Amino acid sequence: MFLKLDSICKTYDDKVAVDNLSLEVPQGVLYGIIGPNGAGKTTTIRMIMDITAPDSGKVLIDGKRLDRHFRNRVGYLPEERGLYRKMTLLEIMLYMAELKGCPARNVKKNCDKWLKRMDLLEYKDKKVEELSKGMQQKLQFITTILHDPDLIILDELFSGLDPLNIELIKDILLELKRAGKTILFSTHVMEQAEKLCDHICMISRGRKVIDGSMAEVKSRFGKNSIQLEVVGDGGFVSSLAGIKKVTDFNNYLELELEQNADTDAILKSVAQRVSVRRFALVEPSLYSIFIDMAGGEPPDPGSAGEVADV
Amino acid sequence: MSKFFVVFKREYAQVVKKKSFLVGIFLTPALMAAFVMLPAFLARQKASETEHLAVIDQSGSGIGAAFAKALERYFIDDEETVPYYAVDRIIELDRADSSGRAAVEDSLRLLINDKELKYFLVVGEDASGGEADLYLVTNSDNFRSISWFEQRLSDLLSARRLEKSNVNLSIDSVLSLTQPIDLTIQDAKGESIPFMVKYFSALVFVGIMFGMMIGYGQLVMRSVIEEKNSRIMEVLISSVSPFQLMLGKIIGLGAATLTQVAIWFALGAVMFVMRSAVSVDPSIDRIVFDPVIIVFFILFLVSGYLLFSTLFALVGSIVNTEKEAQNFVAPITILMVLPFLLGIAVVQEPNSTLAVALSLFPFTAPTMMMMRVVFIAPTVAEHSLFSGIAAEATLSFLIVVAAVAGMIWLTSRIFRVGILMYGKRPTLPEIIKWVKY
Repeated sequence: MFLKLDSICKTYDDKVAVDNLSLEVPQGVLYGIIGPNGAGKTTTIRMIMDITAPDSGKVLIDGKRLDRHFRNRVGYLPEERGLYRKMTLLEIMLYMAELKGCPARNVKKNCDKWLKRMDLLEYKDKKVEELSKGMQQKLQFITTILHDPDLIILDELFSGLDPLNIELIKDILLELKRAGKTILFSTHVMEQAEKLCDHICMISRGRKVIDGSMAEVKSRFGKNSIQLEVVGDGGFVSSLAGIKKVTDFNNYLELELEQNADTDAILKSVAQRVSVRRFALVEPSLYSIFIDMAGGEPPDPGSAGEVADV
Repeated sequence: MSKFFVVFKREYAQVVKKKSFLVGIFLTPALMAAFVMLPAFLARQKASETEHLAVIDQSGSGIGAAFAKALERYFIDDEETVPYYAVDRIIELDRADSSGRAAVEDSLRLLINDKELKYFLVVGEDASGGEADLYLVTNSDNFRSISWFEQRLSDLLSARRLEKSNVNLSIDSVLSLTQPIDLTIQDAKGESIPFMVKYFSALVFVGIMFGMMIGYGQLVMRSVIEEKNSRIMEVLISSVSPFQLMLGKIIGLGAATLTQVAIWFALGAVMFVMRSAVSVDPSIDRIVFDPVIIVFFILFLVSGYLLFSTLFALVGSIVNTEKEAQNFVAPITILMVLPFLLGIAVVQEPNSTLAVALSLFPFTAPTMMMMRVVFIAPTVAEHSLFSGIAAEATLSFLIVVAAVAGMIWLTSRIFRVGILMYGKRPTLPEIIKWVKY
């Protein structure tokens, strides 16, 4: 399935949540919608899911308007997670699949397969309330994909998952992608998106900042950055000639260069003052691209894997 | 398989599979029976200890002593014959001694207060003349004892009056001549159903309706609140339409309601077969087998449940917590219990303007009309299906059905927006905006 948003807009009272957003998600890719909290990611996803209607603009699936049949071919994991506490794991999986039009007898054997993969098989007939928060997240991920959807939409996918489970789910997502499924997810954690996505769309304050395939987006900016790791305080580098901007990531520094900057000279000057552990000419990170494009509205850089929505 | 049916199936199973469902089926009738029978049972219990009296007699003609003698009555306790009443003292005073009487009364009042005496009777100076200056002082409300005293005194004083008059008849023959009559009451059909039989039948029918409407209606509300609170709502809405979800819930829980009532009917039928074993007035048959009562009980149960559960679904969709919901539950409950609150007024005059008006207002109609049907239908002369009350009940039912349709429309408009709103409870203007949206 492929998905197209055609200049959709949504305003709540006097707040513009999504402003004239257009994007295309081709079939069989991992597509990331990236932006800080409050950028309009969830509103966009809710409009794709037909939970809220756009004020204007169109959402097209395989070139057609949304219809009832579409719901059954989509798996949706909302940002706010939750399950029936009093139902058993098996009951809830079958119920969710039936709501997607899959008869229980067809998915029963897949239930075991997924429970085993997620290390939840022993809890199959336990109630949801007996699971830990992380286990509930995994269960909810299973219910999202159990009915074998063609389009999988995951809002703030990594929130609430520990690194081990993030790896597990990443593997599954890659398998699904290779099987031709289209996967769209949103996150405010740029590092994860950078590792996982084929395509991205960055949004800020309801507007698109940049979109395209990861390679495209990066090449548009060229190899004009230096990743620098030094022993000691590297704060002095901002005063060197040819450096446009310094982003301090604490463990390393990312230096954005002016055009025609002399990288050899920079290396020399740095090496004179401190001991260099790494000096690499690279593409800019999504984070620095975002800062560049969105214009001085930094999302929190270091917050790996948790949401602080209010 | 339709998604409505998927939701229906889950909601139904969630209730029926629970242990509390089974407990409710057997416990509720048991509690109801206990509630009805216990007071009657207690009232029939024998007195457990002798009650102590005193008499102040100012009549000068020995009424006090005669009264004490007339009170003789015994019960058996541990194979011992124990008197019901013991007249501890009879204080005879001079007719004119009003200050002495006041002093004695004061001292006796203290004894009453200290529970050494239960009653004292004052027989005034004119009592023997027929103009009764009689009163009883007590802190007790034991109406059986009090009416026993009244009867004894009334016999005693009648005899005295008779003696004074010049009628040449024995006391016994006068008493039998003046025997009060017991008016038998027949309805238009030429039969009679005791008031209590009608009243308790009405309470049972309306009580079941009320219990189902409030119990399962609130279950609908809680189920919506749970889905909002656990945030599962958003996933559900991405799979089913809000309308399917709402109807699946209401009708699924409604089916559980009907299951419960059907089991009660079956239990009731078994008990009915054995009714000769217990002392139930045979006129109950005319209520239980009246087709109008049975038909409208089912119609009003279903329509009333749909009306109130839709209202409860509406409340569930606009609130965030059960605590918030309680503010709405109280007024809804009052609408439902109105027939109980007006109970005696309605049953004495089931065709009063108020009763008729409330049985045409959709939110009070199911319970109020049911109450009236139980009272009126068995008494009409023609076949009750073709009677005026059947026509009235049909009109009232149609009004409820129209209201159900209106409520489902209104609630579905509000529901689809409300279920995704978390946080602040919406204001009325906001809700009106959702309806139009």
